[in-house]
Amino acid sequence: MATAAGKLWICCVVCLLARPAMAADRLHTRIDALIASANGTKPTSARTDDAEFLRRVYLDLAGRIPSGAEARSFLEDRTADKREKLIDQLLSSPDYSRRMQDAFHVMLMERMGDNADWAAFLRKSFENNKPWNQLAREILAAAPKDEATRGAAFFYAKRLENYGQNPVDYPALTRDVGRLFLGMDLKCAQCHDHLFIKTYKQQDFQGLSAFFQNTFLQDAKFPTIGEKPLTQKVAYMSVMRKDPKTVGPRIPGMNEIDVPTFKKGEEYTKAPDPKAMFPGVLRFSPLALLAEQLPTADNALFTRNIVNRLWFLMMGRGLVHPLDLHHRDNPPSHPELLDLLAREFVAHQFDVKWLLRELALSETYQRSSILPKGEKPTPESYRTANEKRISADQLLWAILEATGERAGKEPAATEALRQKFVRAFAGPRREPEDEISPSLKAALFVLNDDTVLTWLTAQPGNLIERLSKLEDDKVGDELYLSVLTRQPTVQERQEVVEYLKKKSDRRAVALGHLTWALLASTEFCVNH
Amino acid sequence: MKFSKLCTPTEHRMSRRQWLGAAAGTTAGLLGLGDLAQPAFAEELKKKRKQVLFVWIDGGMSQLETWDPKPNTQFGGPFRAIPTSVNGIQVSELLPRTAKQMHHLALVRSLCTKDNSHSAGVARIQRGDPKNRGVTYPFFGSAVAKLLGPGDSGLPPYVWIKPGSGGFMTEDAGFLGPKYGAIAFGDGKPPENLMRHKSLSAEDDADRNELRRLADQRYAKERRTSATEANSYVYEMAAQLQKRQELFDASKLAPRDVERYGTHELGRHMLLARRMLEAGVTFVKVNSYGWDTHGDNFNGHQNMVPKFDQAFSSLIEDLAARGMLDNVLVIAMSEFGRTPRINGHIGRDHWPEAWSLVMGGCGIKRGIAVGATNDKGTAVATDEHDIGHLFHTWFRALGIDPFETEYDNSGQPLPIAHEGCIAIKELLA
Repeated sequence: MATAAGKLWICCVVCLLARPAMAADRLHTRIDALIASANGTKPTSARTDDAEFLRRVYLDLAGRIPSGAEARSFLEDRTADKREKLIDQLLSSPDYSRRMQDAFHVMLMERMGDNADWAAFLRKSFENNKPWNQLAREILAAAPKDEATRGAAFFYAKRLENYGQNPVDYPALTRDVGRLFLGMDLKCAQCHDHLFIKTYKQQDFQGLSAFFQNTFLQDAKFPTIGEKPLTQKVAYMSVMRKDPKTVGPRIPGMNEIDVPTFKKGEEYTKAPDPKAMFPGVLRFSPLALLAEQLPTADNALFTRNIVNRLWFLMMGRGLVHPLDLHHRDNPPSHPELLDLLAREFVAHQFDVKWLLRELALSETYQRSSILPKGEKPTPESYRTANEKRISADQLLWAILEATGERAGKEPAATEALRQKFVRAFAGPRREPEDEISPSLKAALFVLNDDTVLTWLTAQPGNLIERLSKLEDDKVGDELYLSVLTRQPTVQERQEVVEYLKKKSDRRAVALGHLTWALLASTEFCVNH
Repeated sequence: MKFSKLCTPTEHRMSRRQWLGAAAGTTAGLLGLGDLAQPAFAEELKKKRKQVLFVWIDGGMSQLETWDPKPNTQFGGPFRAIPTSVNGIQVSELLPRTAKQMHHLALVRSLCTKDNSHSAGVARIQRGDPKNRGVTYPFFGSAVAKLLGPGDSGLPPYVWIKPGSGGFMTEDAGFLGPKYGAIAFGDGKPPENLMRHKSLSAEDDADRNELRRLADQRYAKERRTSATEANSYVYEMAAQLQKRQELFDASKLAPRDVERYGTHELGRHMLLARRMLEAGVTFVKVNSYGWDTHGDNFNGHQNMVPKFDQAFSSLIEDLAARGMLDNVLVIAMSEFGRTPRINGHIGRDHWPEAWSLVMGGCGIKRGIAVGATNDKGTAVATDEHDIGHLFHTWFRALGIDPFETEYDNSGQPLPIAHEGCIAIKELLA
């Protein structure tokens, strides 16, 4: 099918092998060169066929699988640059901002909860391709009652909520900022210097913690947090060495910020207004300083963290993995590559869309998940594509697309459905969703949920209705293309025919079973 | 096996998550014994199926109106003490039926714990108050699910029967990970989607799953197999559950039993618990709510204790009659007791200083009362016992040595019970 493209690819590989990648080359070429040089002569998986690529790139950049019509048009397209064209088309579609909203929501909130303002803030940010440093700055600054960044404060606000009589978990907030924006899990360093990670010091935790210790939730409705004046350094002591120390606000790897003193009544530039739920603006605001100093081009922790996370999003494994343990003894699998990505990302003004585009264009991304013969490459070699978990949102949109139930759904109806899917498929609170981990709850949902099973009966315009109008020998093609975004093999097509013949007295039920089995299959519920 | 007393986490969260993914499809993962440090010991456990029934009396049951009555004293309240089937042990007159089962049971009247707020107390008690090492410890149910495994019943190891909503309560499991969480039967009903959909026959269900298996085999053939293994594992587990539908159907309870246990909520839930234990569930927790009697304590207890008495005594009677008490450890307790002092609302407040619980069965000496409070019930007059001592006692009763066994949080060895405590010897059979 893709012979022309295939030849072109062979030609590219030959070129690649023939000369080292040059600084002037586009990023994706240089990525492939670095991955290739680490792999040496070890075999890699073949390039994806068009169908595998199509499904993968739709899930990654549009958060859904393609419709049957979209799939057919791509598979029938004979032009050589059709993959690049598809990538560009997806990146400029409204699906892209919805997908990024989901990906960043899951990454930053780790299923702690939803908020409409936060969702809108993320969506708008990705619609406008807001640079990551600006997005991070807005989240970290959490400017109170600022209409332009309404929703951004939800990141803190949710973490400053009270649960019952439990005190607010400030250490967890500190950890999350370290993990999610700097790639450092400072958990153990709360009470003592980390015992095994030499570079994670208690001072790092306590210094970062100093930014948040006076924050409080002002308004959960219009997510707003406030700060009480910070008047002195934070006192702390290691549980191992009883040696009292103090530290002011300090971002790991940077200088401590002096804590100035103000006369009582002069701490604010804008006074708090409790009636308006306005917490005031401090003359010395640790959060404002954090937002100014942390998300910068010079902060290598910040830049490496985000490019590693975007790489993970596309490649299924971080160059540094786990994503929140960047340190000397857990080096990147490809150090030069991580540096290159960080450098180029900064040079392109923290342009998320640009980086995702380059990653998608790389041969590394476009490799098949089918193993090279007789080989089991490690995930960090990227010799074979890593299968990726798909989120509750991706799964919802994929199932709606597959069953032909997407059209004509009211936004309110899909939001209710979304909540349902999140309940069934989301991971536990405060855990990253960075691995494929099927759960009993999710399986029971697919097995017995009323709505899902209704989609597997003939409804006007849906997949089952379309299949019910086809001859037995035509069902396989339509079914596999709609659900798995590929043609069935000869054997699969034959099995569908035989199954329908066996169940000819209950054809409608049989069509439902055939479709259900594919929806419940691993091939459908991971991004391979 | 020595564990370090220091916090020694390397990259625990990562490895736990990795373990979840990787082990999910293997036999070890299925048994839930995959990362126990001692395989021979795990084998031994499997041979003698130990089980636990944990009755959680939420809000704080008053020891003075139950296990440690002080009639005719300053704080004793209006109820009398009655004799039990064990010479020398008396309990409140609100517990006439349990009194007749006392020869199966053991009382602990020397509890002195720390937290007097519900939110801290519930978690602290049910986690056994381990030292803070920056990890969230599992509740007792998840710990037992992990340490004893599900057995070969095909049922989940940790079932929680409670009023209100149900579902998959993963948070109980702490660092052990969601698969050791509870499957909660809210209002005694199975979680959503647990029962096969009404439109499907068992044959249809098996039929479509066969198609799914075929698709998965084909997919895994040329790829890494871990995703398929993990996916198959949860579907196989679901299929096992579907085979036990009758067990989850509260309408199938025998009317005579319902009468005996009580037609009230706790009675029905305790009866369901017995069926779960009979079917082989490793750990069953039953919750009773509404015990926080800051006001009108005596009417409150007069209303609630008899219901508990009816359900609990019936259960003990049945377990004993079926010979199950040798293998089932039964515990009934709250997060704290209630103050001797009676407040202005004729209520009793939170009191972790000197309170009681009841237990019995597997590995526990029968017909004894351990520890005592002073005459007014205001302080423990003997050795004080904290929740850490009880975790040691319970683990020992189940045949698990809390000093030899530890969790392996991938590289981070963690004790299963507070290492500053030991078992209460008098309680162990």
